[in-house]
Amino acid sequence: MSVFKTRPAGLKIIIVGAGKVGMTLVAQLSREGHDITIVDKDAAKISDITSTYDVMGCVGNGASYLTQVEAGVKDADLIIAVTESDELNLLCCTIAKQFSDCAAISRLRNPDYSRESKYLRDKLGLSMIINPDLEAAKVMARVIYLPAALEARSFAHGQALIVKIKIPEGNILDRMTIAELGAKITNDILICGVERDGNVVIPGGSFELCAGDVITIVATSKEQQSFLKSIGLVTNQVKNAMIIGGGRSAYYLSDILIKKGIGVKIIEQNRERCEKLNDLLPKAVIINGDGTNTELLLDEGIETTDAFIPLTGIDEQNSMLALHAKKISSAKLITKINRTGFIDIINSLDLGSVFYPMFITADMILAYVRARTAAPGSNIETVYHLFDARAEAITFKVTDESKVTGKPLKDLKIKDNTLISYIGHEGEAIIPTGNDVISKGDTVMVVTMHTGFDDIGDILE
Amino acid sequence: MNYRMIRFILFQVMRIEGVLMLLPCLISIIYGDGEGAYFAGVAAFLIAAGFIGCKFLPKNQTINVKEGYVSTGLSWIVLSFFGCLPFWLSGEISSFTDAFFETVSGFTTTGASILSNVEELSHAALFWRSFTHWIGGMGVLVFLLALIPMSGGSNINLMRAESPGPSVGKLVPKMRYTAIILYVIYMVMTILEVVFLFCGGLNLFDSFCLAFGTAGTGGFAVRSDSFESYSIYIRWVVGIFMLLFGVNFNAYYFILMRQFKKAFSFEEVRVFVAIVALSTAAVFANIIPLYENGIMALTDAFFQVTSIVSTTGYCSADFDLWPTTSKFILCFLMFMGACAGSTGGGVKVSRLMILWKSVVKEVQSYIHPKIVKKVTLDKKALDNDVLKSTHVFLATYVGVFLASMLIVSLESRDLTTTFTAVLATLNNIGPGLSMVGATCNYGFLSFASKWTLCFDMLAGRLELFPILLLFAPSLYKK
Repeated sequence: MSVFKTRPAGLKIIIVGAGKVGMTLVAQLSREGHDITIVDKDAAKISDITSTYDVMGCVGNGASYLTQVEAGVKDADLIIAVTESDELNLLCCTIAKQFSDCAAISRLRNPDYSRESKYLRDKLGLSMIINPDLEAAKVMARVIYLPAALEARSFAHGQALIVKIKIPEGNILDRMTIAELGAKITNDILICGVERDGNVVIPGGSFELCAGDVITIVATSKEQQSFLKSIGLVTNQVKNAMIIGGGRSAYYLSDILIKKGIGVKIIEQNRERCEKLNDLLPKAVIINGDGTNTELLLDEGIETTDAFIPLTGIDEQNSMLALHAKKISSAKLITKINRTGFIDIINSLDLGSVFYPMFITADMILAYVRARTAAPGSNIETVYHLFDARAEAITFKVTDESKVTGKPLKDLKIKDNTLISYIGHEGEAIIPTGNDVISKGDTVMVVTMHTGFDDIGDILE
Repeated sequence: MNYRMIRFILFQVMRIEGVLMLLPCLISIIYGDGEGAYFAGVAAFLIAAGFIGCKFLPKNQTINVKEGYVSTGLSWIVLSFFGCLPFWLSGEISSFTDAFFETVSGFTTTGASILSNVEELSHAALFWRSFTHWIGGMGVLVFLLALIPMSGGSNINLMRAESPGPSVGKLVPKMRYTAIILYVIYMVMTILEVVFLFCGGLNLFDSFCLAFGTAGTGGFAVRSDSFESYSIYIRWVVGIFMLLFGVNFNAYYFILMRQFKKAFSFEEVRVFVAIVALSTAAVFANIIPLYENGIMALTDAFFQVTSIVSTTGYCSADFDLWPTTSKFILCFLMFMGACAGSTGGGVKVSRLMILWKSVVKEVQSYIHPKIVKKVTLDKKALDNDVLKSTHVFLATYVGVFLASMLIVSLESRDLTTTFTAVLATLNNIGPGLSMVGATCNYGFLSFASKWTLCFDMLAGRLELFPILLLFAPSLYKK
């Protein structure tokens, strides 16, 4: 009876842990047509998820062999362990690897393990180890180096950047069309997305920018500095940063910043944690105190700091702190938000650069899953969500000749709301125009409002 | 409430019913009886209305628990209303109430008839009567889910509302494939039965009608004497298939996946089979004095037990004439019904098991006041929600039962008739005892009783709440 054997397009994926990242993954991956089984100890969470998404639920301990068998590990393609506990995640993946030849992805957050993550990955045969706090810290650090941007992500091994900026009042970009921008300022950057009044568009040549728009540009690492300078968006280099809350992401971020020579001050309430941080980060200034105490913030120089980064575990506190800092200082603001329920409100608050660590984690896993599903001709290197998951920037490695190769881009019939925004050709970064050509071996970045692209050929009508 | 989505589902149901109604038209062309025209007319209307209504796909396709229950309840009412029109319009069943009763009885797989002589019906009407069993057995919304890809996962609420059992789960991660798998198992088993019956010398038409009646665990026969004129072979084939259709379909899925251990370890299925075996033995011992031939007694005992426990309601003997012990056993089986996740009705074996285990737990807690003990099924502790809903189900069931009996009792028939009329309709069986027994029908009942029993049949098939919810005033408040 073939109907029982035909596998619907998509992978069989087991997700262990129905926390925030687990939920985001379920939402994304089920929309992309994969067969998902979600495992969690909490029956109420499972029944919530199975009534909202088209996935199967399984209540039990994800590291137990019997639960895994019930969830179908034996013919699964991928197991993703994203429970609260690092040890449980590793155990889940290790056990699954014993019975099944599925790929395994584990989340690992404790700094004790994350230093060994490469070793663990190889020894345990995992496909990927993700440290969301570390990844979030890397993304935040990139914005700190480039304070004019709301968000900056690198791709193609750091050769190019996606940078998000907000056009200030009276900027020269106000009332300028995309075509004029190319003629008057530079052709070496590409605007691949504009958000205005909550709507996102991928703009054409006649699109007119105006003040208040949030735009996403793709540029080579060299070009973006000079572009920002030429439109008058220059802020001084960040020399010192103030971090509120001394959690894991604060540690990772401080570690990166200190290595780059940026002075870090961490305000943390818990005395023991402060001492621990002092051990881990001898160069940082650790203040033991309540970060929400405005007097203390004043004493510690909130008015003069170059960057202010609230990283407490409470979203409301982070938002209030960012708003407070915005009022009394001109520091670069970076806000971490853990829950996605109030994205609209957060966006309307204008909190500067806002980061959702779980989107960062989900993006990485999504890139991996897409690459697994991809046709042999092209490989996905990275997937980034732009504008809170309303658009995607996908980097493909073109390994074979196909319909998209060898033709000038202007001759390709590309889908609506899809843009080829970067071509990496033989080590050279190209911001493409209509005359450029994709060749075998190139790295190509596509920005699109469609979801589920897993092959470069998907961009064609 | 998402009215647009409910409307959309109702139109989808109408469209599917219209397409399915083309089958009796085909039968009518084959046999050349004129009643097919009425089926064709209603089918054309349903298909046209359905296609127009389905043009407007709502933007918000979320089906919450409430929408799931309401659209399931309304779908079954719509289904029964349009399904009865050909009977009524063609005049084969002259009163609308009777036509509606007969159709509800069909879709809910009850098999209680108001007709005294079914052989008078045209082939198209006979076929449609049996075919409604088949449609209703696995459920029309599950069919809808199998056919139409719907976005989001909230449509599991449709299946939850329509499929019987204390907790409804999926077989595979995707709703649509779960529904397809269920229907494929259902179809293959039905066709197998048709082949077996056909080999037993039945004509193709009868084979199909009887197989539909067995598969849906309905019980409409094509002869007035139900099974009394069929051979022993036919009785055993139908008896075994009735038993098979009373088993939780998840077991068949695991057999297909070659996970035999899992398939045979279902606690519910084991208990079900054990009860059938014990009841058959008890009834056999009880009725053997009435028979000259032991094999015939065994055949009838087995046939009647499987027929009642699967809530089919075919009759191979007039069990109204059997001793009281046998009648009581049959009444108990009527109440119990088949397994959850099967096509049968009744309270369901798993619910009774949960209730029994709750009682044991309660007794234990008097002996050891501080005992910690969870109610388990298939070696897994049951969630408190499942326990609670099972208890509430039983309480509601008793309430509906008593209220219906009160209305039917206004006719001043004897208590057995009143009791078993409600018992046999609320549990979707068909024949009861005394005046609604195996050789009788429901035609003599009053208007009010018939509508009450219609309500009972729908409430019983959908496990009470989807129908009861429609009567909740707070549902209609904004």
